[in-house]
Amino acid sequence: MHCLVVEDDPVIAAHVLDGLRAAGRSADHAATGRAALERLSRGRYDAVVLDRMLPDLGGLEVLSAMRAAGDARPPVLVLSALGSLADRIEGLEAGGDDYLAKPFAIEELLARLNAITRRRPGPAEAARLAVGRLVLDPSRHSAAFAGQQALLNRKLYSLLAHMMRHADKVVTRDMLLEHVWGYAFAPTTNIVESNMSRLRTRLLDLGIDPIETQRGHGYVLRSGLCA
Amino acid sequence: MIAGSIASARGGREAAFPLGMGRLAIQFGALFALAMLAMGLVVFAVAQQRIARRIDDALEYHSSKYLAPENGQSVNAAIVAARIEAWQQQKALSERTYILFAADGRLLAGRLRIPPPPPGFSPVRYVSRAHVVHKGRALATRLPDGALFVVVQHSEAAESLQAILPGVIVAIFASALLAGLAATMLFARQTALRLAETQAAADAIARGDLSCRIATDRLDGMFAQQAASLNRMLDRMEELVSAQRQFSSALAHDLRTPLTRLRGLLAAANATADTDALVERAERECASVIAIFDALLRLAELESGRHPTAVAPLDLGALVADVAETMEPVLADHGGALRLGRVDASVVRADAGLVNQLLVNLLENVATHTPPGTTATLRVEQRDEGAMVILADDGPGLAPADRSRVVRPFERGPETAGRRGSGLGLSIAQAIVRFHGGTLALADNAPGLEVRMMFPA
Repeated sequence: MHCLVVEDDPVIAAHVLDGLRAAGRSADHAATGRAALERLSRGRYDAVVLDRMLPDLGGLEVLSAMRAAGDARPPVLVLSALGSLADRIEGLEAGGDDYLAKPFAIEELLARLNAITRRRPGPAEAARLAVGRLVLDPSRHSAAFAGQQALLNRKLYSLLAHMMRHADKVVTRDMLLEHVWGYAFAPTTNIVESNMSRLRTRLLDLGIDPIETQRGHGYVLRSGLCA
Repeated sequence: MIAGSIASARGGREAAFPLGMGRLAIQFGALFALAMLAMGLVVFAVAQQRIARRIDDALEYHSSKYLAPENGQSVNAAIVAARIEAWQQQKALSERTYILFAADGRLLAGRLRIPPPPPGFSPVRYVSRAHVVHKGRALATRLPDGALFVVVQHSEAAESLQAILPGVIVAIFASALLAGLAATMLFARQTALRLAETQAAADAIARGDLSCRIATDRLDGMFAQQAASLNRMLDRMEELVSAQRQFSSALAHDLRTPLTRLRGLLAAANATADTDALVERAERECASVIAIFDALLRLAELESGRHPTAVAPLDLGALVADVAETMEPVLADHGGALRLGRVDASVVRADAGLVNQLLVNLLENVATHTPPGTTATLRVEQRDEGAMVILADDGPGLAPADRSRVVRPFERGPETAGRRGSGLGLSIAQAIVRFHGGTLALADNAPGLEVRMMFPA
């Protein structure tokens, strides 16, 4: 995966570039909006990390210029010190594929970048979601594995569905809070951990434990463990 | 610059007449006088016209009387002359007199010596026996035989009206000017005296004394109302400024603590070998600084009313059940329990995201600030005035003094040893409820704490 990092702050840019390279991705750097547009016109990128506050063009202007350039633009993760809900909505409405407020953990950025590059063109949501022999039944809010059934409450069901839709990918706590719970604030307790451990207990009752904790940052549902 | 502005402010207050008031009084006085003058002229013109009209009516009446046909025959010069003679015999004094001229202009009857006027109405001048020149009005009518019959009436009433006109005008103008000036000056002076009270207070506040208020005991009517309303504004401002000061110092203190620990950790980084643990602790301190800032931004957003509103009809009962589902494992992991009490389905206009945050924040408070074994209960009661969401726990609760204190920013409950939040949780909760036009109250659950949130319907 080849990424373009558009960020004027050299320390943050170096931090992001190092993180991307450590995760096995190649990355170019542009310090201004104009430099970014020039690089985008010349090379092909799989994803763009775009800071909102740039010295020349604003990040949102770069976004609209990209959108004007055509449909084949790479997905964009908007990065910003402006973390309010209004700024977030503005960033997404301007055409960003996801929005990450500074300060952030590099793992969070990697996971979100992964999610947006994979999201397109977007998998069709099946009525019955299945990973291996693990099957969800939306009409009964239940999970089934190897002929056994477990009823789940709405939250645990949505959580498992989200993990199954993103099987084998790291999903961070913040991503789960955003997508499963729809919370735009940072809780002070381990809401995700507590619910995840409930879910894992239920799945253990079915005889499987496919969800792994990534130290400190998120979770992965291993499709290999659902076989 | 500052000294100058204070001096000028003081000068303006001490002068009995603030700058511009004298000129204002003259302008108003002159305007008033001109208006009175215009009115006087109109009245005069109308009066004069009516008098003239009455004279003309009298002339016509008397003219037709003398020219009335006799025995069905139209009159001739001889008959009219006879009538004039008869009048002269019986009535010597009158405001009217009658003259008859022959067709060639000779005087046939009557005593007035004037040249024959043209037929119809016309002004005439004549000399009385006392050799005084009089003005009059004449109606001349040509008889069928060519003679000219003239009725003349003194127009003394109209004349004297005209004579007194200049005097009346001057008198009206002068008295109106004086009255206008006096009224305006009095009004301006009274206004200035009352404004001085406000101005004195405003100057004191500008110099930094926020506790100063406008003295209302000497004010009345709209001035008292305005002063009272300004005083209410000042109360609110003083409250805000003092809250802001308290807030800033509390914020500085709360940020210093994790930053100081962070600095200590960095200083220790050279000496210790276990950098992993050190980095983890440093990250925790950073996270707590970030959490404080996040909460602050959130609070500011809510309080400034800039929150992008997703206010829509919301089923509080369903939302409360949903939050309970999410938070039950959290409370269980902290050794407590969460139960749903009576939950009425009640729809209010609210922002679902904010109400979620409100309930999660409060349940997190229960999870972190109550000992293991505490049970929390969530209820929703539909009432006439709206929906009441009640979160009650059977933990240690709060002393009455603490209950009013903890909703203020950076104020914490008595036991903060173990856990450290941003210190803004309840402030945010209150801001969210207020954002919806509702109220948040803390009460004694005996034992435990009860948080009652009223959402207006």
